[in-house]
Amino acid sequence: MASEFRFHKNGILGSPRARLNGLIFVFWLGIAVVVVRLYVVQVIKHRHYLALARDNVVKVVPIPPLRGEITDRNGVVLVRNGPDFAVFEIPGEVRHPRRELAWLAFDLGIPASKLRHALSRLGFVLPPHMPVPLETGLSMAQVGRVNMDLYRLPGFYIQVMPKRIYPPDNIGAHLLGYVGSFTASDLKGSFYRHLPPGTGIGKSGIEKEYDALLQGAPGLRRKLVDSHGRMVRNLRNDPPKEGRSLRLTIDMRLQMTAERFLGDRRGAVVALDPRNGEILALASHPSYNSEELSQAMSSARWNTLVHATDHPMTDRAVQGLYPPGSVFKIVTTLAGLTEHKLDPEAPFHCAGTFRVGSVIFHDWKRGGHGTLHLHKAIEQSCDIYFYHLGMTLGPEPIARVARLFGLGSRTGIDLPAELSGVVPDREWKRKYLHTSWYPGETPPLAIGQGFLTVTPLEMARLMGAVAMKGQLSHPHLLLGEKEKGGSSGAADLTPIPIPKKDFDIVRGDLRDVVAAPHGTGHPVDLPFFAIAGKTGTAQVVSNRGKNKGIKRPKADSWFVGFGPFDDPRIVVAVLIENGGDGGDVAGPVAREIFRMFYITRLAEKGNPAPAVAS
Amino acid sequence: MIAKILLYVVRVHPAFLVVLSALLLIDLLTLFSVTPYLAVKQGLWEVFGLLMGLGILLVPYPLFLKNALWIYGVVLALLAIVFLAGHASHGARRWIGLGWFQIQPSEFMILGLILFLTWLFVPEKRDVPLRPGRFAAALLASVFPALLIARQPDLGTAFELMIIFSVFVFLKGIPSRIVTISVLGGLAFFPVLWEGVWAHLHEFQKDRIRAFIDPASDPSGLGYHTIQSIVAVGSGGWFGQGLSGATQVRYQFLPGAHTDFVFAVFTEEWGFAGALIFLGLVSYLVWFGFRTAMDCRDPAGFYLSAGVTGFFLFCFLINVLMVLGILPVVGVPMPLMSYGGSAMIVSLGAMALLMNVRFYAKR
Repeated sequence: MASEFRFHKNGILGSPRARLNGLIFVFWLGIAVVVVRLYVVQVIKHRHYLALARDNVVKVVPIPPLRGEITDRNGVVLVRNGPDFAVFEIPGEVRHPRRELAWLAFDLGIPASKLRHALSRLGFVLPPHMPVPLETGLSMAQVGRVNMDLYRLPGFYIQVMPKRIYPPDNIGAHLLGYVGSFTASDLKGSFYRHLPPGTGIGKSGIEKEYDALLQGAPGLRRKLVDSHGRMVRNLRNDPPKEGRSLRLTIDMRLQMTAERFLGDRRGAVVALDPRNGEILALASHPSYNSEELSQAMSSARWNTLVHATDHPMTDRAVQGLYPPGSVFKIVTTLAGLTEHKLDPEAPFHCAGTFRVGSVIFHDWKRGGHGTLHLHKAIEQSCDIYFYHLGMTLGPEPIARVARLFGLGSRTGIDLPAELSGVVPDREWKRKYLHTSWYPGETPPLAIGQGFLTVTPLEMARLMGAVAMKGQLSHPHLLLGEKEKGGSSGAADLTPIPIPKKDFDIVRGDLRDVVAAPHGTGHPVDLPFFAIAGKTGTAQVVSNRGKNKGIKRPKADSWFVGFGPFDDPRIVVAVLIENGGDGGDVAGPVAREIFRMFYITRLAEKGNPAPAVAS
Repeated sequence: MIAKILLYVVRVHPAFLVVLSALLLIDLLTLFSVTPYLAVKQGLWEVFGLLMGLGILLVPYPLFLKNALWIYGVVLALLAIVFLAGHASHGARRWIGLGWFQIQPSEFMILGLILFLTWLFVPEKRDVPLRPGRFAAALLASVFPALLIARQPDLGTAFELMIIFSVFVFLKGIPSRIVTISVLGGLAFFPVLWEGVWAHLHEFQKDRIRAFIDPASDPSGLGYHTIQSIVAVGSGGWFGQGLSGATQVRYQFLPGAHTDFVFAVFTEEWGFAGALIFLGLVSYLVWFGFRTAMDCRDPAGFYLSAGVTGFFLFCFLINVLMVLGILPVVGVPMPLMSYGGSAMIVSLGAMALLMNVRFYAKR
């Protein structure tokens, strides 16, 4: 061992080399201890430990927690739990997987490939002692047949599982969402790792948004089993922690009214309380059956739902993007008032046409409205008046005011996958379409068409801010609680920097849209309930799918309004796709919601009794 | 250059290659019996780790030591990132996401610290005496990352860093009177220290220590790890239960069967005979590291290889003694064996450093 350098001598044992020798000595000593210990445990006490391992094995089985219930604001149960029979397999205990799976499939009367598919979804990533759910929603006949065969199917068992029960007739389907068993890809999220297989996790709607609260925590059953897997006795149970029940801001009576009067038409309804942003009703049609989706479903059925031309999986209230049509004239008006470019009293002559360059725009009313001022222009929804106002303003002030009302960005409602519309201006067009703004694009913007899109929820929120004279609410669905993160108070209102007097002008005009006999919103009028609002009839050019560029047969129909006029407590936004005239088609749906609101929330407080709903 | 290095390893150290391959294969087989999916992933990590090792062999170790401060700094920065904005899993923040996979910077701190301490203790290729200043720098460089890691919380890896520190300081040597004073002082202050440490431990860490003191007090609860581990080892017998007969693993959820308790799984499957062979393989690696240090004619090479060897042997011993219920469940994984991508890369990287010293120190 030729050493060409000298170590500094110090410390115990003299030199680093000697100390390294010491370390190695410690290692040999450790190895000796390990070998002796191994000999004692593995050879001398082998029988003892083998007996422990063979005869009495502690098996840990997770117990799924009961998911929390969901109620409406009055405590009416919307989603509860019911019993469901499911057959499980513990892959590690099955002796002849193929044969026994075929056997089980025969008993269940379903193809074995379906069971194999269920197994392959989870069996590969889970340790072999963890049970995998093979088939849920068994009928009593199936349970009986399988039960008789279980004695020769080791590793399989039937268990009662909680099942979600949703309101009848798909009421609130989009809003509530559905649950499904988690898949291998869900396991990547750390949160689900501790859940027993077969536990439902929220896949959309409230079920998904508040999954962490609803889920609860699984318990553990530790049981002593013999070598055949039969239970000897229970050791200790950690009971599962039940998920929290949620109380929503939804009023079931309004929700049902909304869905009933929406009927079979494609559309959405939003009702909210403008004072605090509580959503009272949130409907979208066509919808889906939450219970059907919560169970294992065939991929063919799933594809039908996802690819259906009427998009039943889309929650139109928060994901549907529509041009707001004339409802947007509120924004154009406010932009004109704040920019001091609009005199409400100045007369204007509407001849039915408006010319920008070589393009001629028409009013919805052939022949025009004659001479009018702002009040009548809003009341009768004169397009020419607003074309002119729009050209005076240009796109920027309109877009700026629209953004003050939260258009063009998500409202932040506590639902997953909310979309936001688009508020176009010069900069937006340059950025996304790489072209400049043409003057001919300003008039459509002024009456809520062209590139402009909104969701029904955004419109309801906008109308709420008008009702509250410039207090923008933050829509939410969980009653009386701060939002998930606890950062932003849900009930807080954001003030909009527009003078109150401007709102007073617009609000007065909106009242007459409904109250005046010639107002476009007159179909909404109720004698006992002061409603204000605005209709919209938005011509749509489809911009997706094979219908790109082709005009839809009928315009989208809007009504967005609030009431009571002096003390606003509810905003209703109704959208009906291809409905036609806003006042006649969307209006009556809104009217019935206002009527129901009055009957249930206002009538008992000394207000006169209303006529019974037709 | 690659060909030259490969030729050197194959010609001069065939035994090392065989032993390392055998251990890696044993690792895959054992993991396969626990969860096949993890074995596939671990196999990929092994290949990746071997490639990394080859990369390390291409760079002479003096160059690593020259840049040790940088390497250490980068890993420390990554640790800080994890501390501030890491990827949480199982309630612990340890990972940095890199697209489709995640790395655990705390593991790489092991290599970073070994290089850094070697650089610190052997400046300009001379073995200088350990003065208080250098000692303080070493202590700070070890304790600070260890604290960051302990907060993740990952007591095991923090513990590993302190092992590295202790090994280096021990090799460097502290005057005997200072050792005596420290030991006496430590004993005197132990109650105070204990209170301080105990108050800052997480509940599951406390539970593990409680369970160690009396594992049988609650057989289905806290002592569960230790008891099930010993039952697994004991049921192995002379020749083991075989890959498919290990009931402890198959029926019983031995927690951490693929990480900290992988040795328990192995001994249940291969028995006492298998365990002896396994210990032989590991001992060969330790001996290889020991010879590398002893034969090295350069102080930096000596400290580097001795540090790697000391780290390896202590982690190995602590893990095995923990599996056998002689030490508490501190969460120190077994190098080269426990499941974990970053840990596997670091273990193979450490082996490559040994070979690196062998290859470059002789000229």
